[in-house]
Amino acid sequence: MLRQTAMLVLTLVAAGGPLVAQAGRDDAAQRARRQAMVDVIVRAGVRDTTTLGAMLRVPRHEFVPADVRDLAYGDHPLPIGHGQTISQPYIVAFMTEVLGARPGLKVLEVGTGSGYQAAVLAAIGCDVYTMEIFEVLATEAAARLRLLGYDGVRVRHGDGHHGWPEAAPFDAVIVTAAAGYVPPKLLEQLKPGGRMVIPVGSVYGVQNLILVEKDPRGRMTTRNLLPVRFVPMLEGLR
Amino acid sequence: MTALAVALASAAALAWQILLVRLFAIEQFHHFAYMAVGVAMLGYGASGTLVALLRPRRATWVASWFAGAAALTAVTLAAVPVAVGRLSVDPTQLAWQPSQWARLGLVYALLAVPFAAAALVTLLALVREPARTGRLYGASFVGAGLGAAAALAGLALAPPPRALAVPVLLAAAGAVCGAWTLANRRARLGVAVVGAAVAVVVLTRPVWRLDVLPYKGLPQALALPQAERVADQASPTGWLVAVRAPALRFAPGLSLAYRGPFPTQTGLFVDGDAIGAATTWDDSTVSLLDWLPAGLPYALGSRHRVLVLAAGGGMDLPAALAHGAHEVTAVELHGAVAALATPRWLEARAGVHVRWVTGDVRSAAAGMAATHDLVTLAPTGAPGHAAAGIHALDEDFDHTVDAYARFLRLLAPGGVFAVTTWLSLPPRGEVRAVLTVAAALRRLNPAAAARGMLVVRSWGTVTVLAKPEGFTAADLAAIEAWTAERWFDVDWRPGLERPATRFNVLEPPAVFEAAHAAATSAAAADAFADAYPLRVAPATDARPYPHHALGLGALARFIGPDRGALLPFAEWGVIALVATLAQCLVLAAVFVLLPVAVRGPPPGPGSFGVLLAYFGAIGLGYLAAELAAIQQLTLLLGHPVYAASAVLTVLLVSSGLGAAWSDRLDWRPTALAFTLAAGLTLVALALLGVLHAMQGFPLALRALGATLLLAPLGVAMGMPFPLGLRALAGGDRPRVAWAWAINGFASVVAAPLAALVGLELGSPRVFALAALAYGVAGLAVPAARRGPRATGTAIV
Repeated sequence: MLRQTAMLVLTLVAAGGPLVAQAGRDDAAQRARRQAMVDVIVRAGVRDTTTLGAMLRVPRHEFVPADVRDLAYGDHPLPIGHGQTISQPYIVAFMTEVLGARPGLKVLEVGTGSGYQAAVLAAIGCDVYTMEIFEVLATEAAARLRLLGYDGVRVRHGDGHHGWPEAAPFDAVIVTAAAGYVPPKLLEQLKPGGRMVIPVGSVYGVQNLILVEKDPRGRMTTRNLLPVRFVPMLEGLR
Repeated sequence: MTALAVALASAAALAWQILLVRLFAIEQFHHFAYMAVGVAMLGYGASGTLVALLRPRRATWVASWFAGAAALTAVTLAAVPVAVGRLSVDPTQLAWQPSQWARLGLVYALLAVPFAAAALVTLLALVREPARTGRLYGASFVGAGLGAAAALAGLALAPPPRALAVPVLLAAAGAVCGAWTLANRRARLGVAVVGAAVAVVVLTRPVWRLDVLPYKGLPQALALPQAERVADQASPTGWLVAVRAPALRFAPGLSLAYRGPFPTQTGLFVDGDAIGAATTWDDSTVSLLDWLPAGLPYALGSRHRVLVLAAGGGMDLPAALAHGAHEVTAVELHGAVAALATPRWLEARAGVHVRWVTGDVRSAAAGMAATHDLVTLAPTGAPGHAAAGIHALDEDFDHTVDAYARFLRLLAPGGVFAVTTWLSLPPRGEVRAVLTVAAALRRLNPAAAARGMLVVRSWGTVTVLAKPEGFTAADLAAIEAWTAERWFDVDWRPGLERPATRFNVLEPPAVFEAAHAAATSAAAADAFADAYPLRVAPATDARPYPHHALGLGALARFIGPDRGALLPFAEWGVIALVATLAQCLVLAAVFVLLPVAVRGPPPGPGSFGVLLAYFGAIGLGYLAAELAAIQQLTLLLGHPVYAASAVLTVLLVSSGLGAAWSDRLDWRPTALAFTLAAGLTLVALALLGVLHAMQGFPLALRALGATLLLAPLGVAMGMPFPLGLRALAGGDRPRVAWAWAINGFASVVAAPLAALVGLELGSPRVFALAALAYGVAGLAVPAARRGPRATGTAIV
């Protein structure tokens, strides 16, 4: 069944979707690794075909340093230099699915990193705004995204605490650098009915994913996401 | 001079071990430090195997090797840190990058060399002068004990990279002493020059360059735009750095409804990990503090006398001041943190008095009276750390049932105890906090848990309030109103029959279910903890591991193909411990059993099996007792560094005296081993009670008490090795070397093994394990066997 789902995804992707100017960079071996990565993500429980299609198209190996490129499609985080990391593929897919990413969705990402998450959202067709506090990462990510054909992604160097007021409001916000609080400005810049996903904690330790939803009256509710997935696994963890 | 060389080499090795653990803990993580140094210490045993296999026959060779080993210790202590610094090991990539294991293996091998060289000094001294076994072995013990004290003195005086000069200088002095034993004057002069040169090098430039892993909180903060390091202070208990940057903000669990400004803050980091922030006071500070979980207890009305436990860097102290407390006592272990965290302008306000108590929470609480309207305990570390198992191996006596019961006894009538934890997914730390508070309330009054507990959850934290007299209807109404305004949920209040979540969905509702069970009865709480998929039963002073939630049985799944998906459950401290044990067992087998299988057992009285059983058992017994003593004395002395230094110094020095005394005795090893087994059983049963009775004494008296408790034990535990050596090896060099190797490997394997037993079963059981080991040693030796009493003359 899982294999069939993965094949279905592959068929969907092959049928269309935005293509990236990556000829010569993305050979058959990389595509095969990416397919294996998506298979793992499907087995882990992500079912949204739009998300899986984007994960299958975006060349993750272009978003990691050359010395760990062979590991780009493993289901784990990797260092990208400057003390920062690229998230585990499953976490990227899970957050994208939870966000309800669809073409035309206006998304603010806080914590660009290498630009991989922004590329996945752009591959889906989202209108992506992404902020990075480390200038060197912001510059590199912008160049990388342009080179790979994700021209529509707007990258800004700045403190995510203040959000992007000129472009607000947003349909969705992804915060990838939470530290015990959610910046109030980001909540203000979220549209009523919008969604925010926050992974709390250290990338090598734990990723507590929290979904914040803003109702039409502006009131927030939160939902702790990962227990839903983890509960069946707990039996084996005693 | 031989004994002095032995003492100095042993002092250098132990000081180096302590400083390496500190350095790796700062640069990497504590559990990586444990693994790297733990495995490298196999060098101790490897020295025995080397001598057993090479079997030096001439006395002149032994003498040369002895002096050479002393010189090698000094040279490698200076050179190895430089070489290790050039190897870039990233422990976060060990799970999926095989090349990292190769580098780690090289680090192990390099680190093992100085340990092997230092151990070789003692072993060759024993081989050279078997008639002075007790005295030489005792010199090694005493040296090691003094080395521990020297390392701590070095840490008190200099940053850890500079403190590494201490072991090198000790070893250099040892090299000079070793050279003095040589007959050849030119060789003597040559080694002395090498020792002196090494000393000059380390005094003029540090051999270690501090290179903190970039994923730790400190480098992350320092990388922020306009980051500025405003304080930097090293001490034996930790390396404190304060960083100011516009983008640094600390507001644990801040309400999503908050729309106000943020105050300026300075981030505080100990050993590279974030511990909180010092907040500048202005109107925005007061505005923010009422929207944090730290403001919750004040929804119940004014709290005039407040006790803030583990105050430095948290928001509980500012919250107390912002909410009108008149008299605040703040307990903080790190004096420097206290100085940075104090909002001084408020202290100067009329009628407000802040008293800082520098010391550990338990000792401070033991000496206080029941006069507080509020006692608060803030969350530990950064969000995600608790759930990540970063602290799984840490003894934490602040979050046990015994601790909470003590804190509740500090409340004045109508007073409230508040403890906040980070939310973890799946819930575990917060569930344990609920069960622990209920168990503590029940100790005061069996009915108190049902009506005196209240649990509030934000999107990222859980706060448990405990009021022994029970919450009134007015209390509950006030809490409901305060939490609703902040979009927090009341997960539990007395009488609640089903979850009443409005804002923060948690499925399944584990916190409610835990509180419901805990309020129902002790049996229901136990049944809930037993049925819960993770370990959440309350921690106790006998087993103080409140951050350990994963059973050992689950570890096998972390090496399977699904390990990426299991990352959120990983308790890295425990994984490192098991990895250390596995690596030590494999390497010990390779270095002991394989050579014996290839070359055959050494000839002599008794079988090789007797050597293996006796020296293995006493190595295990000694280390288990030492580790259990450190665990338990952490409660008495308030910090693992104090406990480790007291135990290592007192136990090793007294063991040295015992070993030296053994030269004059003709006791049977069997009788001594059985006596030790009986004594350690008594310690297992009684020590915790004695420590509780001493808890409220001043630190000097507690330290004296620890010395009086440990010294007799140490004297007795220093004797089995030299007595056994005389009885089972005599002057036979290969047998002495094998005894040394077996004892060394067993000691190194025992460290992670005893730590695992402590984690799973508690410290008293580790003492029991030590007693069992000595019992096995007693059974291993034929009862009548005893060695000749030492004569004080050298055989070789």
